[in-house]
Amino acid sequence: MKKSPDIEKLENALRSSTIVAGGFLGTDSRDLNDIISSDLSELDGLGITITKLVSRMKEITNTAIPALGNWVKIDEKYEAMVEEAKGILTCPWPHSGGFDKRVTFLKNTKTNNIFKWTDLNIHLIEQHNFFEGKGSPYRIEPKELVESIF
Amino acid sequence: MLVVSSIGAALAAVLVLSEMKFMNYGRCKITINDKKEIETDGGRSLLSALGNEKIFIPSACGGRGTCGLCKLKVLEGGGKLLPTEEPLLDKKEKETNTRLSCQVKIRNDLKIFIPPELFAIREYNCICESITDLTYDMKQFRFQLVEPNNIDYIPGQYVQLLAPAYEKSDDEIYRAYSISADPADKNHIELIIRLVPNGICTTYCFNYLKTGDKIKLNGPYGQFKLADTNAHIVFIAGGSGIAPIKCMLHYLKNTASKRKATFYFGANRVKDLCCTELMREFEKDLADFRFVPAIASPEPDEKWEGQTGLVTNIVREDLKNAAECEAYLCGSPGMIDASIKVLKEMGMKEENIFYDKFA
Repeated sequence: MKKSPDIEKLENALRSSTIVAGGFLGTDSRDLNDIISSDLSELDGLGITITKLVSRMKEITNTAIPALGNWVKIDEKYEAMVEEAKGILTCPWPHSGGFDKRVTFLKNTKTNNIFKWTDLNIHLIEQHNFFEGKGSPYRIEPKELVESIF
Repeated sequence: MLVVSSIGAALAAVLVLSEMKFMNYGRCKITINDKKEIETDGGRSLLSALGNEKIFIPSACGGRGTCGLCKLKVLEGGGKLLPTEEPLLDKKEKETNTRLSCQVKIRNDLKIFIPPELFAIREYNCICESITDLTYDMKQFRFQLVEPNNIDYIPGQYVQLLAPAYEKSDDEIYRAYSISADPADKNHIELIIRLVPNGICTTYCFNYLKTGDKIKLNGPYGQFKLADTNAHIVFIAGGSGIAPIKCMLHYLKNTASKRKATFYFGANRVKDLCCTELMREFEKDLADFRFVPAIASPEPDEKWEGQTGLVTNIVREDLKNAAECEAYLCGSPGMIDASIKVLKEMGMKEENIFYDKFA
C-alpha cells in the first residue's frame, strides 16, 4: 500500500540522524508499521501490555534518579543507575515536548546482565508503540525487555 | 475505508506538492522592530529567512517545532497560530502574538519583534586550536576566533557549535555548550564537553574533530549569569557543568572581586574529577573562594580523602548560611532538581537560585 505523505515524512525523520546519531531505524529496512506491528505481536504473545511494561520502566527509572548516577537497589534481583547529559531530545513524531537525555541501566545482580533504556524509549513505547528499528543503538527487543525487568 | 484513506492521502500529497511546485509568494518584506527591513523569497520559514540574514534565533530541534526555543513576536502577517505551536506557548505569549519562528511560513510581508539581545548574536568562523583530555569522557576544546576575531559575552552564557554532516550524521546540526574560557581572552572560546554515547555532536567532537580544523560557532546565548550583589556565591556543578562556573571564576579573578564563593563539585568517582589544580589556583588567587569536590562512590582502589557522598548531602552538611546565599547550578537535570530541593529546604529563596537549563 502506498504510504501517506505524513508517514513518508515520519519515516524519513526516523531514518535521518537529525535527533540521534544513526537515526531510530538502524539497519531495519522494514516499514514503520511492520516494525511496530511485529513488536506488538511479540509483546502480546508474552502476555504483557504496553501499560504494564512502561509502568515498570518508569518505576525503575524514578527509583534510580535520586541516586544521581550511582547504583541503587531496586529489589532483591535488580540494581539500577541513571546517567544524564545536559540538553533535551525531541520525539521524532510531530508533537511538542522534550525528553531529558537520561539513560537507565538495570543490572540483574545474579547474572550481572545489564539492560538499558532512555527516557525517550519510554515515551516512544508508551505513546507510539515503537521499540526502534533493528540495529539502532537504543533498539529494545520486547522479549529481552520483558525478561529483564519483571 | 481503505479507499477513503487513500483518496485523503492522495489529496494531501497533491496539496503539499502543489504548494511546493506552483505557489509563488514572490519576494516578501520583513520589518524587524520597526527599524530594519529585509527582503526574502516567500515560502520559507521565518527562522530560516532570519538565519540567512545572519540573525540567529536559538533553536535546538532543527526547525521541527518541538523545542520551543525560537520564539519571537510576529506583529503582522503571520497568519493563524498553528496546532504545532499551541502547546509550546502560554496564554500571555499567545495574547502578545508570540510565535515559533520555525513554524511561521513567509507568505506575505511580515512585521516582527526580536528581543534586542539576539542582535548581538554572531556566527564565528574558528579554528580548533587545541583539544585537551580532562577525564576519560570529558575534553576541553579551545577555538581561535578568525572571523570575526573577537567576542563579548557574559560569563555563564553559551554558544552553539555547528557539527557538519559526517559519517554518523546526514545533516549538519547545532548543539549548545557553555563557555568555559577566561572572558578576558576575547580571541578564544573554550568549551568543556562530555561524551554522550551516540550523541551526534559529541561523537563528532571526540572522534572526528582535529586540531587545525575549521569550525563554526554562533552566540552568545543565555541568561545564566552572576547577579550584581555581594551575596555569598554557592556554585554546585557536576560533570561538564563545571564549564560556566570556571568562566565565572575567571571573571571574579579578573575583576578582583571580594565576594565569598564556595564551589561544590559532584562526581561519582575520583576519575570523574577535573580541573582540580585550576580550582586550587583559584583558591589562592581569589579573595574568599573554597573548592569542595565531593565523590559519591570512590572505587576501592581510588585513594580519596576528601568529602564522600552525594554533592547535595555535602552541601547540606557544609553550608551554614544558605538563606543569605545565592546559588548557581549547572549539571544534569537530576542534580539540578535535587540541589534546588535541598537549598530550598535549607532556607534559600527560590529567586536566589539560578541554573543553566539550555536545551
